[in-house]
Amino acid sequence: MQSCFAMEIQGSERPILGNKDEPRGIQGKGQALTSCDVSSLVVDSLCDQARGQNAAVACFYFDFAAQKEQSLTSMLGSLLKQVVSGQREMPEEISKAYEDQKKVIGGRGPQLPDIVKMLQTSSSEKPTFICIDALDECAAEYQVKLLDSLHQILQKSPNVRIFVTGRPHIQAEIVKRLSGRATAITITPRRGDVIRYLRARLIEDTTPDAMDGSLEAAILKKIPQDISEMYVAATTLRKLPQAIH
Amino acid sequence: MSLPFSNNINSLNTAINVWNNCTIADDRSQILTWLSPLEPRLQHQDIQNRRVENVGEWLLQTEEFKRWYAGNQGVEHDNAVLFCYGNPGVGKTYIR
Repeated sequence: MQSCFAMEIQGSERPILGNKDEPRGIQGKGQALTSCDVSSLVVDSLCDQARGQNAAVACFYFDFAAQKEQSLTSMLGSLLKQVVSGQREMPEEISKAYEDQKKVIGGRGPQLPDIVKMLQTSSSEKPTFICIDALDECAAEYQVKLLDSLHQILQKSPNVRIFVTGRPHIQAEIVKRLSGRATAITITPRRGDVIRYLRARLIEDTTPDAMDGSLEAAILKKIPQDISEMYVAATTLRKLPQAIH
Repeated sequence: MSLPFSNNINSLNTAINVWNNCTIADDRSQILTWLSPLEPRLQHQDIQNRRVENVGEWLLQTEEFKRWYAGNQGVEHDNAVLFCYGNPGVGKTYIR
């Protein structure tokens, strides 16, 4: 499935389709639908709707290549930073933590339990949307701790909603750590997505002379059709065992 | 005599206000940087610029997304987390 799709649209970045062992590029042109496309679309839509509602939106994009910088404290710290940066005044709890840490070892960073507590406080005052892209790209040693921290935040602030993307294999851990409070939804590029994507790429074609109307029409017909057929094949295969029984 | 003096006081007050605002703004940005050196905002902008318009929009129209977005108005609810996953194989809910 993945390879057929990737063959048509190469140089993909963080494909949402695919198994966990497959290498992912860091830069490059994307597939019709990648996890960060979905996440950024959701973030933008939430930001648009948050304007009139005094809601906070915070996002984070995990990246294999940046695992070293993306520690748990810097990740949660950046969520907190986004939540409070929209507020007119810095919460006293945060200013105080900053002053306290400044006095020791020439300025210590924020501590994990403090960040979680500050996130609990800040997010309980208004609707807060947290979007996390590619959770499976979070360093393995932080994944469980991150889910536990999110669970603690959810427990204290009923105003928090969390949007997560990732590969299917992390679903069990999410369900387990967040005590069944997660709904899961499959993301697959729809026919319309593929057509929109192809159109956008055709416009950027660097050899427009090689393209004519009929070739363009054939591309727009054939590729979405092939992709749909792959889905049909997959769906049929899935239903087969049921049909036999 | 008193007029220039009060003028001076006024401009001194203005200067103090400007100074105070500067220090508050300065403290604020220092605290924000202290919270995390990471800037997901920039990453978001980068992805946003490369995104093809309207691709994936259907997700926002799904019942699952709408229910998650609407939440439970401050009451703890079961849809607080929405997990979106890509599925390469068969055996799970596939395309509708």
